[in-house]
Amino acid sequence: MTQRTSHAVEVLAAVLLVAAGSTARAAGGTVAGKVDVTPAKYLAETVVYLKGVPGNPAPRTRDMDQRGMQFVPHLLVITAGDTVKFLNHDSVAHNVYSPDNEGYNLGSFKQGESRTYTFKSPGLYTQLCSIHPEMLGYIFVGDNPHAAAVDAKGRYELANVPPGTYRLAVWNSHLKAPPDKSVTVTDGKTIQENLTLKR
Amino acid sequence: MRILRLAASVLALTALWLPSKARSIPAFARKYGTSCLTCHTIYPKLTPFGEAFRRNGYRFPGVDSDYVKQDVVALGQDANKKTFPNSVWPGTLPASVPIAVGFNGQTLVSPDRTSSVARGRNGAVFNLDDLVAEGHIWAGASLSDTVTVWAELTLNESSSPVTLEHAQVLFNDLVGPAHVVNLVVGKGFPTLSSFGPHSSYLADIQIPNAPVTGMYGLSADPFVLVDNYKGLELNGVVAGRFNYAVGVNSGKNTFSSGFETEDAYASAGYKVGGMRLDGEGSGGAADPLHPWAEDALTVHGFVYHSVEHFPTPGAPTLASDDVGLTLGVGARAQLGSLELDLGFYGQTHSHGTATLGGVTADVTWGEVSYVLFPWMVPAIRVEHMRLAPDGGPSVDDLHVMPGIAFLVRPNMKVILAGNFESATGFPQDGGGGALGWQGGSADWGSFVLTPKPGAGPAQGLQEMESIAIFLAWAM
Repeated sequence: MTQRTSHAVEVLAAVLLVAAGSTARAAGGTVAGKVDVTPAKYLAETVVYLKGVPGNPAPRTRDMDQRGMQFVPHLLVITAGDTVKFLNHDSVAHNVYSPDNEGYNLGSFKQGESRTYTFKSPGLYTQLCSIHPEMLGYIFVGDNPHAAAVDAKGRYELANVPPGTYRLAVWNSHLKAPPDKSVTVTDGKTIQENLTLKR
Repeated sequence: MRILRLAASVLALTALWLPSKARSIPAFARKYGTSCLTCHTIYPKLTPFGEAFRRNGYRFPGVDSDYVKQDVVALGQDANKKTFPNSVWPGTLPASVPIAVGFNGQTLVSPDRTSSVARGRNGAVFNLDDLVAEGHIWAGASLSDTVTVWAELTLNESSSPVTLEHAQVLFNDLVGPAHVVNLVVGKGFPTLSSFGPHSSYLADIQIPNAPVTGMYGLSADPFVLVDNYKGLELNGVVAGRFNYAVGVNSGKNTFSSGFETEDAYASAGYKVGGMRLDGEGSGGAADPLHPWAEDALTVHGFVYHSVEHFPTPGAPTLASDDVGLTLGVGARAQLGSLELDLGFYGQTHSHGTATLGGVTADVTWGEVSYVLFPWMVPAIRVEHMRLAPDGGPSVDDLHVMPGIAFLVRPNMKVILAGNFESATGFPQDGGGGALGWQGGSADWGSFVLTPKPGAGPAQGLQEMESIAIFLAWAM
């Protein structure tokens, strides 16, 4: 390959990459907004998600650690088919179990060890430790990847949603969820949807 | 001299049967991160919301934990309920010890050195002995959204150094809708009214006590309606407007331990207008600048069966019993910031006199108050007691107490009150002599009568007993 030919290939590749990137950015829209939670102290345990978004996402593996006798993160959002690796960085043994949905008990394991569990069904899984009953974590398993925990100000963003009409839902550990909202997503657009949660 | 000693002992004995002086506890203010004024006007007097909080077992309407600002330690997560019985039913603990402390006392100025109060103090006009009379350690906390605890230790300079006044566990919302069935276990006041026991601006307790067996010298710790008893009580609020309570308790016994528990009581009340008794669904006060104000009428009544054991006069190794039956009614009418509380009870005693004869006590009281400012409440309180013993002279005493309660700070108060008394007759001892006595509703303002030297049981007295300055603070 001559130097000129090589340069042409590089340019072509760059053009193709840019085009591909543009296509990816344009593939889908965004649903964003803010969740108003009363009492505000329950805000951190809030997930906003879309129901019925088609797709077959590749399974991923995510970590949930146990540090200082706490599950870290306190709330983990994953998709059905994902695997969670439970770590233990404490100098004391922990047990991980959940009484929710199909339920599981991963036994006890000491510092430096880990256990894994693959979540097949969507739903909310409370994470408990039978050795330390005060420990609590949540794993929210969506039926598609378009789910997110709110940030400290209650904001959320669900990006790259394929165009279509879906139901926008919210989960909170203590508060009643409002009725689902119907949202229509179009390519390249951002829909603003604010939600309110209370008793 | 005998009279002076008698008067002094009458005053000293009072502390044995008067209940604790305050029920406002800053532990709740810390727990909810809220001011005392959320629940109180001039503490311990409660606003309609504060009364609802008390009736709900020291819980906010709705879900109590929604309002808790203080950190809690989870002793198990709610999700553990799903794994019960393989895990302990979960609960919580306050992250910091839910303790509050308070102090109170009074100064009595007795312009008339010959009044019963002055004679009980060696004729002193001005006396600071009780400027700080008591210290209190309170505890109040939630163990879950439905289980709460309440406790109080009182340190008293003039009687028992440390008294366990309250120690109660409240199991709320046991069955059915919220607030309908609650169980209270432990030591505390019996619920005899729709309102808190300290529901007065001028006195310590709403219902004046008639310590009949104490007045006749039978018992050093006589049965009275409002005192701390060990027992069980079921109570609740139905449909927000009807309240009830039924309970049993150990009663009073100065002979020895081990008697059958026979004291039992029941009360009920109904409220028209204003905030619901449980505070649910309230849209707040009509005028947000006057959260204590409402237009409402509440009527309530109670029945109480008591059996008291004490040493038999002249044969102290043998027990005597006094069986009492009390029927009472009361009402509170509130028109904005103006409030009128009225009450009456009639009490029969099978063996209440010094010769173990029967006696009846009729007690009537009323208090009218007006919240002029959130920190200043003028009021006037009137109490009347009549004792009618079988075959002896009756006792008739009217106590009038005009005064003003001030809130110096939300957790510090001063009461300025005058005490006027008009009485005829005294209880008789076994030999027919006149006995001094004290009863009513406050250390700083109550019935205080001591016969003048040489007077018989039928003597009449009109006295200005004192100008009382009561001071309390809590933190």
